[in-house]
Amino acid sequence: MKTFRCPSRHGYAAEISPFLPSRLACAASQHYGIAGCGTLLVLDQDEGGIKLIRSFDWNDGLFDVTWSENNEHVLVTGAGDGSVQVWDTANPRGPLQVLKEHTQEVYSVDWSQVRGEALLLSGSWDHTVKLWDLERPQSLCTFRGHEGVVYSTVWSPHVTSCFASASGDGTLRVWDVKMGVSRLVIPAHNAEILSCDWCKYDQNVLVTGAVDCGLRVWDLRSTRQPVAELLGHSYAIRRLKFSPFHRTLLASCSYDFTVRIWDFSRPEPLLETLEHHTEFVCGLDFNLHIPNQVVDCAWDETVKVYIPASLADLQPCAD
Amino acid sequence: MTLFTFRIQGCVPGAVQAVKVQLDPSQANVLKMHRLRVVSGHLSPQNRLGPYSHAQIARSECSASLPVAADDIVVVHGLRTAIGKAKRGSFKDTTPDELLSAVMSAVLRDVGLSPDKLGDVCVGNVLQPGAGALMVRVAQFLSGFPDSVPIYTVNRMCSSGLQALFNVAGGIRNGSYDLGLACGVESMSLRSVGNPGDVSSRLMDNAKARDCLIPMGITSENVAERFGISREKQDAFALSSQQKASKAQERGVFQQEITPLTTRFVDEDGKERTIVVSKDDGIRPGTTVEGLAKLKPAFKPDGSTTAGNSSQVSDGAAAVLLGRRSMVEALNLPVMGVLRACAVVGVPPDLMGIGPAYAIPAALRKSGLSVADVDVFEINEAFASQAAYCVEKLGIPMEKVNPNGGAIALGHPLGCTGARQVVTLLNELKRRGKRAYGVVSMCIGTGMGAAAVFEYPGN
Repeated sequence: MKTFRCPSRHGYAAEISPFLPSRLACAASQHYGIAGCGTLLVLDQDEGGIKLIRSFDWNDGLFDVTWSENNEHVLVTGAGDGSVQVWDTANPRGPLQVLKEHTQEVYSVDWSQVRGEALLLSGSWDHTVKLWDLERPQSLCTFRGHEGVVYSTVWSPHVTSCFASASGDGTLRVWDVKMGVSRLVIPAHNAEILSCDWCKYDQNVLVTGAVDCGLRVWDLRSTRQPVAELLGHSYAIRRLKFSPFHRTLLASCSYDFTVRIWDFSRPEPLLETLEHHTEFVCGLDFNLHIPNQVVDCAWDETVKVYIPASLADLQPCAD
Repeated sequence: MTLFTFRIQGCVPGAVQAVKVQLDPSQANVLKMHRLRVVSGHLSPQNRLGPYSHAQIARSECSASLPVAADDIVVVHGLRTAIGKAKRGSFKDTTPDELLSAVMSAVLRDVGLSPDKLGDVCVGNVLQPGAGALMVRVAQFLSGFPDSVPIYTVNRMCSSGLQALFNVAGGIRNGSYDLGLACGVESMSLRSVGNPGDVSSRLMDNAKARDCLIPMGITSENVAERFGISREKQDAFALSSQQKASKAQERGVFQQEITPLTTRFVDEDGKERTIVVSKDDGIRPGTTVEGLAKLKPAFKPDGSTTAGNSSQVSDGAAAVLLGRRSMVEALNLPVMGVLRACAVVGVPPDLMGIGPAYAIPAALRKSGLSVADVDVFEINEAFASQAAYCVEKLGIPMEKVNPNGGAIALGHPLGCTGARQVVTLLNELKRRGKRAYGVVSMCIGTGMGAAAVFEYPGN
């Protein structure tokens, strides 16, 4: 396990570059994000460990980060002051662009996976999701409908112009960007939903994680009940991700300090519980290039990169 | 640097996060309390749907000790005079400026603060002409305050003393000044409730306007009838108030909050003498259920409100020194409490006594707390009927209500009461020693209620 220490910075999100297998970014905040500023850390991992390439400061906490899909140097963060920053790792001076329309904390940002487009989603505590084209200074569209804080917004990896959002109102919503409306509203939990993600192998499958400590896997063709419910965490699930290499494999991190690896096709779905953090674990990502490698970050001022033991011998999915 | 500790507490045993944040006081303003609230919401399994709409989150924030912020409005010190029975008691010959001057000067003297540091003084008063605007300026000079210190009065009837505190807190919050004195005073010996002033004859065509003329005792009967608060229940409430007050007096509980006042007293045979008053004279240790049951209804023949289960008509004054925390700390003054929220709401004039049942939830909501988080409620006992109703309606355990008795035993000098309750509340919390929340509330004639939430920081 490789560890990077970021003193007095508390990790909120960690994402691995879609271009460089060794490159990762961590959005972190001073004072647990309750006061003070935020820092974007750009890191590189090698055999020796993890080293800092560059860091950028922002005047308020940074809560999420996403890499550009069309420029390896560009990444985007969401901040506590409602702004979205576009950064260039080659430009140490500050953000290339600051997009300020949200009136409250931006808790999620996600870059569209459609190559050639520079479309970005931002989800905010102001209950809205905004769509941005980074070629333009104003947002293209504001999606209203959630009746609570929006915690998570994720593009569909299969259907262009489709994304999902998870909210404090207990619903998972699936939106059509072209229509500007939510196509599906799923009352997925009887609790605040803090995270959602799409299966990379089935365009109809999504997972949600909530304050009720449960993960639920959903098939959009039949949303009356979840395909699977994964129980084990003892506190709210803060973030979860489907594996890029396995159809039914996913990872979740939680306020219970643990990261858990799940395979929802198995009768005993919990594969592993990792207890290597001493604070809330908020950021989590799978490496697209190195099968089964995971990065996470926590409020204990560390970013960790590792391959969970349960996945060490797992071969990537054939399809 | 100041160390702030947020305790984010979930409901699963053994899992408690203490978040320590070091900030210099200039940064404290930028603490994002709503973020702490949202995260606390994530940790409470009872929390369901939406971080701002549920009492449970409030609970977790309460167990999350509220952070210390440089622009908090804090109470530095407060004192009151003894409360005298109107027309017969210790202060029957004392003018209100004398009562007021005693507390104004004693509060500053106790903490060693020079009066020229005060940005403003606000005094609650009801019965003096024009709420005593001239009388208070006289009191200021009798207290030796320089003429450079401004002073004014406020009249929101029974809540005037608390409204004075709200006004001073507002002045501090809007940046007009850093320190102010909030007071309340009433001589019901020298002035009585009566003349409603000049009002339009058209008020008779408007039911709500007309209801403003209903005597307070009748509004008490209305509450008792409408909500089924029996005579027995009212008498039991009154008895409990008397018993708690006499026990508190016996134990010397009030000594730390009363400043003695030397004054003129004319006795029955017309002889004038000087007395020192340091004890409330309305408390009746000998009160019994039987005694209370014998009293005749005071406001209507078949009514249930009596002289024994209503507040007493009284004379008294109280003063509370407020400041912005940063200034209070800079001057090395003590912090006796922190004002966490205030609220004033309107209710139907003919049921004015229900005011606290609406004002308390409004103030608690603003502070992010629930009834269960509060240790002591000082609810003014205008009438046992309305006080008992509010306590029942809000589901407050009786042992949290007026632990040292209320206006039924102590008296209700209208303009003074709100400030007096704040003094009594914070002294009680101080005696208990641990960090706790307290609420002050009262009903208001013509149909309103006011409430304030205070935090005692703990010894």
